[in-house]
Amino acid sequence: MPYNVIALIKQIPDLELIKVNSSTSEPILEGVPFRFENLSKNAVETAVRIKEKYGGKVTAILYGSDRGTPVMKEAYAMGVDEGFIITGYQESNPRLTAQVLAGKIKQIPHDVVILGNQSADSMTGLLPGMISALLNEPLLSNAISVELNANSAKISSGMEKEVLELEGSMPVVISVAQEINEPRFPPVMQIIAAGRKKINIEPSSIKGNDSTKLLSRKAPKSDRKRVVFEDIDKGAQEVAKVIKEVAR
Amino acid sequence: MKFLVFSDNLDNGKQIMSYLNGKGEFVVYTPDDSKEYADYGASRVVYLKGEHQAKPISELIASEIKSNGFDFVFITSTVTGRDLAAFLSQAINADIIPEVFDVKLQDSKVSTKRYGLGGKVVLEEESNGKIFTVIPGISDAVPSGTSSQVETKEIQRGNVNILSVNPKKGREVDLEKASIIVSVGRGLGKKEGIAQIEPFVKLVKGELAGSRPVCLDYRWLSEDRQVGYSGRKVKPKIYIALGISGQIQHIAGMRDSKIVIAVNKDKAAPIFQEADYGIVGDLYQVVPKIMGYLS
Ligand SMILES: Cc1cc2nc3c(=O)[nH]c(=O)nc-3n(C[C@H](O)[C@H](O)[C@H](O)COP(=O)(O)OP(=O)(O)OC[C@H]3O[C@@H](n4cnc5c(N)ncnc54)[C@H](O)[C@@H]3O)c2cc1C
Ligand SMILES: Nc1ncnc2c1ncn2[C@@H]1O[C@H](COP(=O)(O)O)[C@@H](O)[C@H]1O
Repeated sequence: MPYNVIALIKQIPDLELIKVNSSTSEPILEGVPFRFENLSKNAVETAVRIKEKYGGKVTAILYGSDRGTPVMKEAYAMGVDEGFIITGYQESNPRLTAQVLAGKIKQIPHDVVILGNQSADSMTGLLPGMISALLNEPLLSNAISVELNANSAKISSGMEKEVLELEGSMPVVISVAQEINEPRFPPVMQIIAAGRKKINIEPSSIKGNDSTKLLSRKAPKSDRKRVVFEDIDKGAQEVAKVIKEVAR
Repeated sequence: MKFLVFSDNLDNGKQIMSYLNGKGEFVVYTPDDSKEYADYGASRVVYLKGEHQAKPISELIASEIKSNGFDFVFITSTVTGRDLAAFLSQAINADIIPEVFDVKLQDSKVSTKRYGLGGKVVLEEESNGKIFTVIPGISDAVPSGTSSQVETKEIQRGNVNILSVNPKKGREVDLEKASIIVSVGRGLGKKEGIAQIEPFVKLVKGELAGSRPVCLDYRWLSEDRQVGYSGRKVKPKIYIALGISGQIQHIAGMRDSKIVIAVNKDKAAPIFQEADYGIVGDLYQVVPKIMGYLS
């Protein structure tokens, strides 16, 4: 039985490429490209596997900026059928993000909405609950496997101390954990084809009134000695000395 | 001031209670064994009986907030805690500041600290936040010397069916108390590598830990040994990272270690920026050498 699946994708700055200004300790974000957020990729992989197994269509929604275009193309190459980029993203406002995304989801017929359980940059983990509340659809949380039936979805949920089998009626929201799958690397031909596919770009009409004021954003001080040995023997000797001193 | 706490993580919950102790009256809601929380200064501990589900728990707490009035809500950052916080923020229309590790309350404004950019920076913010999810470490857990009244409330059934519950195995290790931690990463290459590292761990009287891929993806170690943002936050006297690249989410869990030693065959690995002593080399060659010099 075919399903309409929506996957939510976040674009994030490429964290590994962010340098820190050594005098102010502030991150340098200028010129840092955006990339696919880690868990969003697991979400897209889950959605595409559902389509491959049961048939149907995968729609992706990214609330960000038009700099998210390469990310959406990557999603197309992975197997997403149609993509929407909503521009006007405001950082650190999860309630607004949820409202914008839920507003768009409501316009698209769907059986399942899939998103990550906690995004790799802001790590709020709030979107799954907020989207579920706004859509009034049950939330199946922290999936490590997913199975769909006629009118319901079943998941294994990886909680801290146990694994739960959960079931909810469609339409349903599913948040996925990193262990659910290993996202694919699409073949070159698919990447080229994806480059030609149309992306729908829409500005967000909802304005947020965020009371949160950023007082500072600094890298924690790291006063490490950074003594690095390329001579293994010397290094081992020195390290053994350090361990002995502390163990005493 | 009046606070409401939800906890489904004993260590973190007790830390939050110790943090609130003396700041006002607080009530704790928990699906855990309520006696565990009874001597940390709460005016009441409410045991939540029934299925452990975020949505119905949020409804119960929302109605308590409407009838009793609370200034702030503190929630342990767990799978259920984060979902619960999200539902609650919608239900009572209150702002939420996620994943905080420091909170200062001044009248209606609060200033909080949390990690941004995957743990690379600390965001210090001022807001009208009323709900916080709290990561471990907001305070040390200190019993208050008083004893709370315990009561029970029933959780209604939610819109999700729980078909089965299977406990995960893996015994609890006290990484937070270890004075030396030997932590292995993907660079270990194979599960059998663990057995090769264990004699070293024994020799230094340490505890074994690992990065997320080692604990979660490959399951070479049990999950409770994962160090990092989404694992344990540790601060041993010595943290020895073997074959760990040093991604920020890992660093976020071991940054407070006193001395960091790193072994990695890649000279450019970011872990060397976060290490006091680094050795560029194959861990399978370096570790026996260190052992040689130790004995
Ligand atoms: C929301 C979120 C939360 C996360 N939380 C955590 C967390 O809590 N903890 C965590 O660890 N990660 C976490 N991660 C994952 C994190 O981003 C990294 O993927 C992970 O830390 C990498 O683990 P690693 O260093 O073992 O592996 P890799 O990054 O693959 O590094 C392996 C290293 O081993 C070296 N190596 C290889 N062979 C040898 C050898 N023979 N001898 C010596 N060195 C060798 C390599 O040079 C390399 O540097 C999280 C990610 C996300 C998105
Ligand atoms: N701006 C966004 N646009 C689309 N999806 C998002 C956005 N922010 C978060 N998500 C989704 O929500 C998941 C959890 O993010 P968070 O709740 O912010 O930690 C991510 O893995 C994404 O799947």
